[in-house]
Amino acid sequence: MLALQLLCNGIVTGCALGIVAISFSFVYSTTKIFHVAHAGVYTMGGYIAWSMLEHGFPAPVAFLVAVAACTALGALIQTGLYARLEQRRATHLVVLIASLGALAVIQNILASVYSANILQFNLPWGSKVFTVVGDVRLTVTQLLTVVCSLAAYGAVMWFSHGTILGKQIRAVASNPFLAEITRLRPRRVHVYVMAIASALVCVPGVLVPLDFGLQPYNGITPLLTATIAMIAGGVGSITGAFVLAIVIAELQNMSLLFIPGEWSIGITFFIFVIFMLFRPTGLFAAAR
Amino acid sequence: MDFWLSYLTLASIYVLLGLSTNLLVGIAGIFSVSQAAVFGVGAYIVAYFLMNDVMSFLPALAIAAVCCIALNILVTLPALRVSGDYFVVTSFGIQLLATAVFTNWTDGTGGANGLPGIPPPDLFGKALEDSSSETMLCVGGMVLGCLIFWLVMRAPFGRLLRAIREDELAVAAAGKSVLRAKVSAAALAGAFAGTAGGLYATFLSFIDPSSFDLDSSILLLTMVVVGGARTLAGSIIGPFLLLALPQILTLVDIPTTIAAAARQLIYGVLLIAFMLFRPQGLAGEKL
Repeated sequence: MLALQLLCNGIVTGCALGIVAISFSFVYSTTKIFHVAHAGVYTMGGYIAWSMLEHGFPAPVAFLVAVAACTALGALIQTGLYARLEQRRATHLVVLIASLGALAVIQNILASVYSANILQFNLPWGSKVFTVVGDVRLTVTQLLTVVCSLAAYGAVMWFSHGTILGKQIRAVASNPFLAEITRLRPRRVHVYVMAIASALVCVPGVLVPLDFGLQPYNGITPLLTATIAMIAGGVGSITGAFVLAIVIAELQNMSLLFIPGEWSIGITFFIFVIFMLFRPTGLFAAAR
Repeated sequence: MDFWLSYLTLASIYVLLGLSTNLLVGIAGIFSVSQAAVFGVGAYIVAYFLMNDVMSFLPALAIAAVCCIALNILVTLPALRVSGDYFVVTSFGIQLLATAVFTNWTDGTGGANGLPGIPPPDLFGKALEDSSSETMLCVGGMVLGCLIFWLVMRAPFGRLLRAIREDELAVAAAGKSVLRAKVSAAALAGAFAGTAGGLYATFLSFIDPSSFDLDSSILLLTMVVVGGARTLAGSIIGPFLLLALPQILTLVDIPTTIAAAARQLIYGVLLIAFMLFRPQGLAGEKL
């Protein structure tokens, strides 16, 4: 029965991870920036929500404020950092180092303000347990994570295929030069992309710590796993990233049956190496 | 006096690491946040050999260097064959994996408690017990490392590396193997990092995973960025400046609980500021 429980946990983690992967892939396929600081945005969302709850605001308000703050931070990173570097024709390596710097800044501001210790959310309803099938138990938070993640996935699919802005973003992603000529203003589109991706990553950023607690340096492992899911799924494919995130989370969870949990990073990395060796373009990359 | 000696020793070790990171990031142009992991592997290998009395210091250091060369080649080769961005994932992955191994493989590495009581280094059967001779050893290592770096960059191989930075395609068209040159640079970087690890372990006589985590890798990157990429002067200035920073911070009244975070925060700010306003660092060339 443990296997079934782990399977369900895998789906929960995978859905949350899938949203991180989608949002990262959104930035990466449009701006071509390997946005390491995304891990910082992810972490900050949780802390903002925690502060709001501590100040007695209701949970939905706390969530919305966190999303707004992340959106603003994402737009700020784009306009204040990436756009400026682009103006100076910075090389790819320079942008990467700057992004890593931004990650260090965000993480350590959080660590200085909230301390580096683990913070737990104080939400009694969040840990209420439901019995799903047999003796598989899921908390309210876990169910909420699955529902919100699937909703976010649906929203992204609708947004990028059904709205004008979504189509513009895809146009900029596939050919920035042509987009510039046809007055799509890639620079402005890049800001939108960063803002949307940051809002999106805030969803798992708030929901995952509800179960596991907050720590300022906890964003890197999920981001790394998400980028692996993105690469394995095929860069540019939203569904690919989401599906592979669930697969990787499942493999991690099932591996707990045989290997202790502290080695799960090894499992993730092993999957990455396998893909690097045998299918570096990813599974769903045929469309590109 | 003791303070200056230990500052000089640590700075010498970090100059070796700076050279290593510079070879990888500045010269081969590979983004790396896993140099601290390689550094750690070198340190743990030397610590293991010396603590179990398997061999003396120099052969242990040589084995550590060889292992780190192999490790760096193993890490670089697959990533370079595919695409630049995938190396970011490899690099983060190696670093996190290494931290997991250092922390959880309790039998080999002492786990989170680290390895205390590493014996001092010995040269030709004579143990270097006092700190001044250990400092001499580390400074000697640094001078040797700088000399090697200088010679390599003057040699045809160094010119090839420079040419690759200018125009990779032209070098490939001229019939030189770009991949082989980059992997060789990575191998040399591994040798430097491994040697630095061995010196570090014997100098401090205690190592634990916190010296070889992601934050240390970011520190190494900051050193190269501040000092300046691709030059010898840059790799020397960076470590000396940044190792003085914690001492300066003790003069400012910061609560000890956030001191580590404040330090890392400054590294982050330095990374951003230098990338925005002076990508060549204090004494380097354009990154």
